[in-house]
Amino acid sequence: MNPVTQNRRHYEDLSVGEVVDLGHTAVSKEMIISFAREFDPFPFHLDEDAARASLLGGLASSGWQTAALSLRTLGDSFLNTIASMGGLGFSDLKWKKPVMVGDSIGGTATIASLRRSRHHPERGIVQLDLDIRNQKGEPVMSMRLANLVELRDPGLPMEPAE
Amino acid sequence: MTRWFEDITIDEVFPLGSHDFTEAEIIRFGQLYDPQYFHVDPDAAKHSHFGGLVASGWHTVSVGHRHMVDALFAEEERLRSLGKEPGVSGPSPGVNKMEFKAPVRPGDRVTYTLVVTGKRPSNSIPGWGLLFNTIEAVNQRGEHVYHAELVGFSKLRDYKMPLRLRLLTALTRLPLLGKLLARSG
Repeated sequence: MNPVTQNRRHYEDLSVGEVVDLGHTAVSKEMIISFAREFDPFPFHLDEDAARASLLGGLASSGWQTAALSLRTLGDSFLNTIASMGGLGFSDLKWKKPVMVGDSIGGTATIASLRRSRHHPERGIVQLDLDIRNQKGEPVMSMRLANLVELRDPGLPMEPAE
Repeated sequence: MTRWFEDITIDEVFPLGSHDFTEAEIIRFGQLYDPQYFHVDPDAAKHSHFGGLVASGWHTVSVGHRHMVDALFAEEERLRSLGKEPGVSGPSPGVNKMEFKAPVRPGDRVTYTLVVTGKRPSNSIPGWGLLFNTIEAVNQRGEHVYHAELVGFSKLRDYKMPLRLRLLTALTRLPLLGKLLARSG
């Protein structure tokens, strides 16, 4: 038994349709510039004049920052409350609208599917649909994440194939 | 890359360079964005199936993105030094697929490579094209760390705006009419 995760929810405790509230994160100019300097130094993430002249229309966060900030809230409200074994990746990530200075982003993660790993009986795969919106309720980013989660009882019979 | 949309060759390989991941930076990224115990606590991480500290996949990907941006700037410099005018890269509309394949541990060296696998003019933004890129990240043992399929915007050099759009753009520049048009749009 893993002492770090033994009292957390396991694969067996999750259900499709469960909705996780991701709260709200305010995005400041300092946050945008600091992330961009390290990971995404395009002028439209660093400089207000260059940003106004770009497709973004103003200083906006790196899409990777929008994703990282959303991941942070998902960690606090979900991944650190379950027996997570790490991420497998994601698909259909769409940056729908720029996140501008002063915006506040939040949203939900919904469990879209749950299945057992074929090769590792102690592992399950949870798929989560993220719907991230700004303070006006406009969608700014969506994606489908896949994460591994441990079974409490790996001896549990496999579900019949769909 | 920072070439005009028309000048981008399909299946051309762009080496993006390597990055050495240290324990300190893995923990720092984890604390900021992905504070799961196997990304932030080397002792607790021993209990995980990884058997030790590993980087958040989002950290490895963010570093890969930085390498791509640096390569775009380097290409821009190269074109200018040849007396050519570089193209314009835009923001990205999204990522079709991202697969984390092997964990990145402290001391690992990850090497990134980009290939443009397809391109087409944008349907929604006149004057811009879409590039379909893959990035492969490989560690020092030749193991694939991640595989990404990304989309990026690149400006068209030879684009001529249709007369109707040019008229509309000119009209929106008139103060009063511009406001009215923006409201009705």
